Amino acid sequence: MTPGTHEFLARIKSLFGKRRMDREMAEELEFHQTLLREKFERQGMPPAAAAQAARKTFGNTSRWHERLREQWQFKPLETFVRDLTFAARAHKKSPGFLAVALLTLALGVGANTAVFSMINALLLRPLSVPHSEQLAILSMEDGGPQPKYVFCTPFFRGLEKRRDIFANVFAYNPDVMPVQGRSGNENIHGMLVSGQFFTALQTTPRMGRYLTPADDQSGGNPDGLAVVISESFWESWFDRAPDVVGRELIIANVPFTVVGVMPKQFIGADPTQKPDVFVPLSADPIIDSPRNHIDAGIHAWWINVMARLQPGVSLQQANAALLTVSSPILHEATSDVSYLASEEKGHFRFAAESGSRGFTYARLLFRKPLLAMFSMCGGILLLACLNLTSLLMARAAARERELATRLALGATRRDLIQQLLMESLLIAIAGTALGLVLAPIVSHSVTTMLTRGNIATGAALDTSLDIRVFLFAALLAITATILIGLLPALQVTGGNLNEHIKEGQHPNKALERHKLLPRVLMASEVALALLLVTGAGLLTTSLVRLYKSGAGLDPTGLVNITFSMDKQQIEGDQLMQLYQQLGDGLSHQPGVKSASFEFIIPLSHRGWNDGFSAPGGNSHLLWLNSVGPRYFETMRIPLFAGREFMWSDTKASGPKIILNQSAAKLLFPDRDALGQQVISKFEKTAYEVVAVVGDAKYRDMRSPAPAAGYVPIMQDPQKKPSLTAVLRVEGPQAPLANAARTLAARLAPTIPPPVFSTMDEIVNNSIGAERMMASLALFFAACALLVTAIGLYGTLAYTTARRTNEIGIRMALGAQRSRVMAMIFRQNAVIAIIGSAAGLIAAVLASRALASFLYETSPRDPWVFVGSVAALTAIASAASLLPALRAARIEPSAAIRCE
Amino acid sequence: MFREENTAPGELIPGTLEMLILKSVARGPLHGYAVAEWIHQTSQQLLKVEEGALYPALHRLELRGLLKAEWGASENNRRAKFYQLTPEGKKRLEGESQRWTRLSAAIAFVMQAS
Repeated sequence: MTPGTHEFLARIKSLFGKRRMDREMAEELEFHQTLLREKFERQGMPPAAAAQAARKTFGNTSRWHERLREQWQFKPLETFVRDLTFAARAHKKSPGFLAVALLTLALGVGANTAVFSMINALLLRPLSVPHSEQLAILSMEDGGPQPKYVFCTPFFRGLEKRRDIFANVFAYNPDVMPVQGRSGNENIHGMLVSGQFFTALQTTPRMGRYLTPADDQSGGNPDGLAVVISESFWESWFDRAPDVVGRELIIANVPFTVVGVMPKQFIGADPTQKPDVFVPLSADPIIDSPRNHIDAGIHAWWINVMARLQPGVSLQQANAALLTVSSPILHEATSDVSYLASEEKGHFRFAAESGSRGFTYARLLFRKPLLAMFSMCGGILLLACLNLTSLLMARAAARERELATRLALGATRRDLIQQLLMESLLIAIAGTALGLVLAPIVSHSVTTMLTRGNIATGAALDTSLDIRVFLFAALLAITATILIGLLPALQVTGGNLNEHIKEGQHPNKALERHKLLPRVLMASEVALALLLVTGAGLLTTSLVRLYKSGAGLDPTGLVNITFSMDKQQIEGDQLMQLYQQLGDGLSHQPGVKSASFEFIIPLSHRGWNDGFSAPGGNSHLLWLNSVGPRYFETMRIPLFAGREFMWSDTKASGPKIILNQSAAKLLFPDRDALGQQVISKFEKTAYEVVAVVGDAKYRDMRSPAPAAGYVPIMQDPQKKPSLTAVLRVEGPQAPLANAARTLAARLAPTIPPPVFSTMDEIVNNSIGAERMMASLALFFAACALLVTAIGLYGTLAYTTARRTNEIGIRMALGAQRSRVMAMIFRQNAVIAIIGSAAGLIAAVLASRALASFLYETSPRDPWVFVGSVAALTAIASAASLLPALRAARIEPSAAIRCE
Repeated sequence: MFREENTAPGELIPGTLEMLILKSVARGPLHGYAVAEWIHQTSQQLLKVEEGALYPALHRLELRGLLKAEWGASENNRRAKFYQLTPEGKKRLEGESQRWTRLSAAIAFVMQAS
């Protein structure tokens, strides 16, 4: 053992048994003194003189003792413990300050951690597969503004065949699949995966085998169709039966054989999906019947494609290799001359980018809102820190005498700074811990608000706290400590503290006036608060305008029930009769006022369009929907002219169409559209316009209502359309879900249970990101106002309390109470004005970043700016009034005597 | 611990105290007073160890594991803390005394040069 380690261990040991060591040291020194005294006595001194001489030789016992003790001490640790207990005691003395500090910090840290954990889940966390850094996302560039990530089958198969560029190329498509359970079909989240999917992701199955290229053939491998299931599905569906491999699973009414079970951590290549069944890509005609994305060739864009790089091959090399194969694959895929020409004009090429974090469409969608939220959260945390700094600084100023005394008693400046930092460290750690408790709650609710209705069904963000989130939180705590503690500590221990002892309660006026730092801090706090309030004001105004703009239909009391009819036997007019029966059954439920059917639920981000023209006129793009009788009455879309569709509008009675106002004006600018003919661009079918209705929004709330046309469901070109029943309901809506299920089970036993949703939900989901941003921003703005008010009040109250004596003298000399009040009030007013001005400039510059989130609202909306300044002024005045009033109530005689 | 400027007779040359202490306990365990006495006597009353320096040095050596301390009975049956060499201490003493021999010889050469 080296002397160093021996020393370390001995010191650790000495931490325990301190008493005994002290006693032994005293005894050892005592023994030495005794021997000295005896020696002097032996030399002939009288006992009293000998004792005195021994003491003299020996010197100050307690000092040697102290020195010995120091030698054994574990100095840093002991100072740490001492500072810690002292800091805890200091905090206990001011519980109000502590509560404010903890709450503001917890809020800042909680919000930041919550948003960071979402950013982590969506943008940072790598896939949990071996060597995820070798994965690449493939895309196509053809001169458009962004690369395209959704492939068609021929392009993918062309890439998959070329084994020289990548180790593996694979494709997948998340899908909801009807799986036959004990009580009919159930919708299960699944994934269609190509042959090399599992090979590329290199995860060993928990049981059995995974799918291989041999399974990815039309009709499956020679033994039939294979399926791999997830561990959670194995548990819920098969009760973890050990003999699950080899069992049959009926998907989309076709038998598949379970060949393997994937372990729990395996979720595939899309971090927002948790598929339960993995089905070969070639089974698409079965799963998605009656659609067939494979035979549709270059007309069906439906899969995401990724690849695993060969070891030692860089992305650049892969990209170079992709460039050489792009054109050949394009030509293999199609002979459509006009398509080829347009792609070649855009310099069509495949590209690869890093795919270690997998691919999800949600990333493209939520990157910007998340980063905007992150900066808002950062703002609130900075505000909380600034506020605490100001408060601590004011408090430290009040503690100057205590610190000066300690300095005079031999503490070094470093000791004091260390001590003050310890106090802020305690606050930071406790606040961070509290924030970490809050974070999952916040991130959970924010995630649900964001993802509902916006990403494909079954999407979920895993926002669990992992090591990266904890590191982030620790970083926040450390930064907060330094931000909060260092400035006040430096400020208060700088300067000549001895002056303070001499001066007592009479603060040096010159010194006080020149304390610029606290004012700068408070002013920047005001500016930051104004920035947050303005941002919140803009987002809220935009949201209110979005709501007010309306959808063109009345969503309240509107219920959607979607039936999946694509996998049952009947079609055509027979199916229409079934729908008519379902509609009749539903409209007789209690509370249902009217019922109809539609193909596309408005505002659900789905769409269908075609070009139409008036005879002899230009072709215009119309967004289409097929709807049932009484549709406009049910949706409360005004019917301006003509009539609703009727069940008798069958294919035999000739094509009919209803136009909305915009479409009618577009196609027939100079005459009445009713009774006219419109001709579709491709099929050249002539439709008779039977009505003109009000405009309604189509794909989402943000885009204005487009020109639209409605065709009767009875004339729908699809053989087996899956329609949604829309019900206008008064009273409770929940019982309808059950009623619809029993009705469907009676009339169409082979279809999966119908899906229930309300139109209000869909409207809210359609503007989920806007709603979430506005509500978060409002919440943060309210917090910012509150925090600023506390800061302005706290610092002013501290400084005023320290000027009690001076104010007393002023009053004794004849100053009026109103002037004293004005004097105190003015202190904060100056800060508030300077802060607001700075904040206003910053807001004008920064609000442009919000422009892309705003709906019909200018990022420099003057009313919002005026309102924000007014709100801040009101809060600042309220916070400054109380200390000013208190100062005005000072009794001069008492104040002067209080020294 | 030692004031450089104060080089009156009886003071120790800086840095030699630890070596002298190690040497003093080389023949067997001693308590603090006996260490001081032994150095004083053996040096023909030329060297005097200050108590204020002695105990910190003893404790430092103990802390570093060069000395081992045990409580025992003194000559006149009082409880006293006895220090003895550990194997590490012994090694250190050998090293130090070799270094000292070389050093003092070197200084002697220099000082005797004419």
